[in-house]
Amino acid sequence: MAALCESFTLRGPGPGGGPGMSLEPGPGPDLVLLTERGRAATLFKISDQKPLGCWSVKHGQVLTCPVVCNFETHEYIAVHDDKVLRIWKNEDINLDKAFKATLSADVHRIHSLPQGGPVVLFKGGGVRTLDVLLEAPQQEIENIVSDEAIRWSGAFMESQQPVVVFATEKDGDFFVYVQKPKLGSLLKYRLEPQESSKPLNFTAYLKNQTVTLLCLYSNDSVYQVLIPLQQDTEEEEQILPKSLLLNLSVSGSVLKGTSLVVLDNDHVAVLGSLAAPDKEPKECLTIWNTKFQTLQTSKELPLGTSGQLWCYEEKFFLTHGKVLTVIMYKCETSSLAAAVGKLKDSQTPGVSSFVNWDTLEGEDLVVSFQSQESVALKSESRMNLRSRRSNVAKVQPENFSVGQLLLNLKDAPTNVLENELKKLMSKTQTPDLQAAIGSVVTALTNRCKANPRYYPQSFLLQIVETRDLSYSLCPDLMPIALEKRDFYLLQICLQRFPDIPEQMTYACLKTFLSISDAYLRMTDVDLDSVICYIDVEFNNKGVKTEIVENGFNAELDQDTCDTKIPRQTHSKSDGESCPIGPHRAALLNSVLHSAYSETFLLPHLKNLPAQQVILFLRYLYYLYVKCSEKVNTTLPGVRSPTINQIMDWMCLLLDAHFTVMVILPEARELLSNLHKFVRAQVRFYSELNKIEGSLRELQRLNHLRDSQTYSIEVLEII
Amino acid sequence: MGEFEVHRVRFFGLVPAGVRCLACQPRGSRLALARTDGAVEVYNFAANYYQEKVIPGHEARTVESLCWAAGDRLFGAGLNGDITEYDLSRLSAARGADGGGGPIWSMAANGTGTQLAIGCEDGSVKIFQVIPGGIQFERNLDRRKGRVLCLSWHPSDTHIVAGSIDVFRIIDVASGQTVQRIMVNYHVEKVKRECVVWAIALLSRGTVVTADSFGRVQFWDWQQGTLAESHTVSTSAVLSLAVAEKEDSIVVGTSTGATYQLQLLPVKLGGSEKRWVRTKPFQHHSHDVRAVAHSPTALISGGLDAQLVIRPLLEKVQKKGYDAVLRKFTFPHRRLVSCARKARLLLFQFSQHLELWRLGSTRETGKDGEVLPLCRMPEHLVQLKSKGPEHIYCSCVSPCGTWLSYSTASRFHLYRVRCDSVSLRKVPKVPKLLLPAYQLQFSADSNSLFVASARGSVHVLQLLEPGGCKHLHTLRPPSGCSEAVYLLAPSADGHWLAAVSGDWAIHVYNLKSSKHHCVVPTYSCAVSALAIHPSTNNLVVAYSDQQLVEFSIPEQQYTPWSRTVQRRGLHRCWLERDTPITHITFNPKNPSHILLHDTYLFCVLDKSLPLPDDSTPLMNQSTLKQLPETARKRQLHAFKICKKFQPLLFADLLDENSLVVVERPIMDFKTQLPLPVQQKKFGT
Repeated sequence: MAALCESFTLRGPGPGGGPGMSLEPGPGPDLVLLTERGRAATLFKISDQKPLGCWSVKHGQVLTCPVVCNFETHEYIAVHDDKVLRIWKNEDINLDKAFKATLSADVHRIHSLPQGGPVVLFKGGGVRTLDVLLEAPQQEIENIVSDEAIRWSGAFMESQQPVVVFATEKDGDFFVYVQKPKLGSLLKYRLEPQESSKPLNFTAYLKNQTVTLLCLYSNDSVYQVLIPLQQDTEEEEQILPKSLLLNLSVSGSVLKGTSLVVLDNDHVAVLGSLAAPDKEPKECLTIWNTKFQTLQTSKELPLGTSGQLWCYEEKFFLTHGKVLTVIMYKCETSSLAAAVGKLKDSQTPGVSSFVNWDTLEGEDLVVSFQSQESVALKSESRMNLRSRRSNVAKVQPENFSVGQLLLNLKDAPTNVLENELKKLMSKTQTPDLQAAIGSVVTALTNRCKANPRYYPQSFLLQIVETRDLSYSLCPDLMPIALEKRDFYLLQICLQRFPDIPEQMTYACLKTFLSISDAYLRMTDVDLDSVICYIDVEFNNKGVKTEIVENGFNAELDQDTCDTKIPRQTHSKSDGESCPIGPHRAALLNSVLHSAYSETFLLPHLKNLPAQQVILFLRYLYYLYVKCSEKVNTTLPGVRSPTINQIMDWMCLLLDAHFTVMVILPEARELLSNLHKFVRAQVRFYSELNKIEGSLRELQRLNHLRDSQTYSIEVLEII
Repeated sequence: MGEFEVHRVRFFGLVPAGVRCLACQPRGSRLALARTDGAVEVYNFAANYYQEKVIPGHEARTVESLCWAAGDRLFGAGLNGDITEYDLSRLSAARGADGGGGPIWSMAANGTGTQLAIGCEDGSVKIFQVIPGGIQFERNLDRRKGRVLCLSWHPSDTHIVAGSIDVFRIIDVASGQTVQRIMVNYHVEKVKRECVVWAIALLSRGTVVTADSFGRVQFWDWQQGTLAESHTVSTSAVLSLAVAEKEDSIVVGTSTGATYQLQLLPVKLGGSEKRWVRTKPFQHHSHDVRAVAHSPTALISGGLDAQLVIRPLLEKVQKKGYDAVLRKFTFPHRRLVSCARKARLLLFQFSQHLELWRLGSTRETGKDGEVLPLCRMPEHLVQLKSKGPEHIYCSCVSPCGTWLSYSTASRFHLYRVRCDSVSLRKVPKVPKLLLPAYQLQFSADSNSLFVASARGSVHVLQLLEPGGCKHLHTLRPPSGCSEAVYLLAPSADGHWLAAVSGDWAIHVYNLKSSKHHCVVPTYSCAVSALAIHPSTNNLVVAYSDQQLVEFSIPEQQYTPWSRTVQRRGLHRCWLERDTPITHITFNPKNPSHILLHDTYLFCVLDKSLPLPDDSTPLMNQSTLKQLPETARKRQLHAFKICKKFQPLLFADLLDENSLVVVERPIMDFKTQLPLPVQQKKFGT
């Protein structure tokens, strides 16, 4: 999203200003070189808003083109009286004493290129690099353009070669020349003519060996012209086609542009006056998104401008009234979301790139292990090590560092390993206990990986339950648990680990949703979070979702004589019975509880199959309805999900599967129920707001009633 | 220990007046506060924020602004157009000077305290010179249209900034000319409402801080006339503003009852560029916060809900003490209720009238916590309106219930009360005394009345049947005293009288010989309550720092118990209490008992029991009640505390097993306040 930020005055009202002004980048960052009134050049430090130096020519002399800075030598180059070249350094004070060279032809402009040095463009269309020119100042300069007038010029570096592009005009026809002074090549193009309008301003940028020329036309449009740097055909005067890039009109008002600047691939800035049919035109600076053809931001400049606009280092420079104003801007990669203002500012561009936690932590651990290993190997031979292990196991295991111990135990039989590790864990006074436990778990999981039949469930569970572990300390634990379908361990991990990556959370969620009910009923899961609110009927009926009576007793239904009423209640009670069994609910609750970042979770969630999405959504809907039954909108029980978690997940799911949900017929009823319920809640709260006064009055009356003004009570003081 | 029949009284309809303005004494430890009824109070930070001095209000004297000048002189100005100096030793409005510009909306003293500037209704800013014995008009500064609602001096005294409606201006003091005039609502488009600059401050760096009715706190560069920063802190008006002396922190109060702190913080850690950031929001008030002050260690705010809130800045508080905790004061630190024990009457003192009530009675008895059925309802006997515009200083009803007396700033009234037929007869020809009286106290036998007066003196009046009185003599401290007496305690046998004056000295007089008897060793804190034990003639004194001492008057020394208490120290929880003890009384049947109360607790102090140490809980009544009789013995300690009755304005013993407590539930008086700004609560 592009935005104009604060502005400040670079130079207050001075003698200069007006059309004779020009701005070029200075010799370093935060510096600009201002040439004005044909008399003087001033170097400004932008952030300090103050001039650092000023040079002026003698009376009678006129600076005929903007003073530029040679970025390589940090010299300043000026041309006065069309032909006289002056070069000086920062420390020079008097321009008169500076280096002087008189040229044989009139100079149009000097372009300074960051790596290519300055390039001089003569009025006749000839181009020389400064080096070449200084070798023989009086050399003859060819005349290319004859009686055409140069309207605009620009210079670029293309494969280490300076390229000068300039546009000329003759009798309403516009031509574009491309010159490479080092190669001596010259290309001439003719700009596709446009009925009843002509170019007002040009700007260009070089990309992929093509110069893109943007032209601001007097019909309030910006056209794009692609100029090839190599001419393919020998045909003379190739006509360049132009394409409409942007129409400068917004809801009835039209921007009469005077200058334009390219900001990035998708953004251009246009300075001009915005004219609405029934309003006075207002001068303003605007930023447009060319991709989406939208006006991104604008700033009114009530005091008027000179029509010129420069842009360096993410700053606009323009004369506003009589002062030279700097307006900062921000221009971020555009997406549709940003264009319509939906993307949050805090989010970084490139949503799909997420941190791979595994590699990060994994590398770290590997490095530490390797270092320990190498140290150990360096000091003693492997044989020694073994023998020492057997000694130490008997005598004093305290002297070993955890890493060494784990290395030693690498090949030990499982029961020995577990015993040793348990012993190790009972020594609580180790300084870096957390890291030690982490490496213990890593050792165990490594063994699990190596030996598929080995899985010390109870031991792992004990570690996770008793220690404050985190995911990053044992990145392999949860994948292994997932692989072994150890749901209890996963549940505990989800409840306890603060830093589970979204990928893992998603993997858990997917497994929890897809696993069969039969398997789930066999597993041992902590039901604390569910037991207080979930319907008990499921315990004996199972989760036969298709034929379930939705919490209604079948006999009761039969008793009621009317058949329509139960059907109504049937559909209505859809949200009132839990769509999933308590085991699955408990597991899902642990997912709801885990920490996540929307940005990282969303790409994964998109992969969830539609049926599972609907099941999960139905469960969330059920939870939401349950929550809303209570005044304080909380579910009973320990570690039951909060209403915010439920709402967040519901939004996430809907966001991730918006199109699927719209298309899927099964989802329709669910969505409409959800919608109705949310609407009812909103109404309810707005009604509450309305009767707030009455409620307060009731409270007051209540208070008055139970506090009598006088009573005699008995008080015992012991 | 025993059961009490508690007369729980909630019909004292006291509505404390809202806080209008606050003024911290520069480089001092006192805070002056003015209420909407014109009363001025002085709180002493050094004495646990004790409400040291109270100057009752006056119908015609509203106070819009208070300021300290020339060290410890306090000036107030209000809509009656006068500047009043308060005599803090005589607790009265001393001298007044006409401001000469209509109602005065604002007043500010310069940095050195030698000049006062006032902002008037007619748009003028006038400078007064503070001279010994009064103030003197010096000159007028540039007058512009629009009342001047707020004023602030530049710390170097060269400029004054004056805020009015839609605009504020900077006036050069030397030339008297307006050097800059800035419209505050220039940046708001299409605003038809006027923007009131409610508060303003001029900082030494040349920044003007304004608080306005649009809820903004804005920082202006006055030389350029440009807006540097604008913080919209509230959707409703910002009414008050105060700047810390270091100018790195600002507190503002809004009409929603919220206060906010703004701090000048570096943009980057360790960087030199600083910006004002809104840091801490507080919601301690339910109504408009009309006044805020910024002491070096605390944010102080006063609202129309009558609360004074002192919120310490914990980063500025060095050690944990009384100052380190949030304090809220709603009720005065003195008694407004007096009780006729024998006649079972209660006298309530309001700002301009008195109410006399007779308590009800019951024939039943019951167990702890039971409410007994009434056989007689309480009876409102008399409402006595004070004539004239002056508010009441003090009042008292005699123990037998036949005499009633009150005093205003210039008048002293004594009435003869007949309860059976409910008649009130004014005693004619009361002796001319040095007025006002700061405290009135009848002797236990209702034969004499003690009148606390200025310069440390106490007048003794003899009451004559059927309705007359005679001035017997005046007791004065032998060394002289400039401060007024504010607390009196006669002994039950009519032998002794203890009097506390504003310099916190306690003088004990022998009434039989009308001589000065002794002085209780001075202690560096204000006395909040004192009483003489009826049988031992020990004087029990409660200080505002929660210390308790017992002084034997006949022996002229601290009692052994008192020395034990001092040596052992009081319980930590007792010392950390919020409000001072405001009343002490005794149980005649049980000489070891001292009954005391503050706003939040009622305590029976049993001297025969061991003192609690910090490891045992101070409040142990509820645990004791659950223990069997035999196990209680070991748990007992001297402080028997009951927190059932809150907020407690008065508690007294009627007879050996009946008590009267007067409560004023906050909700009861909040409902009588004007409605606060409506705020949405549901589903926002």
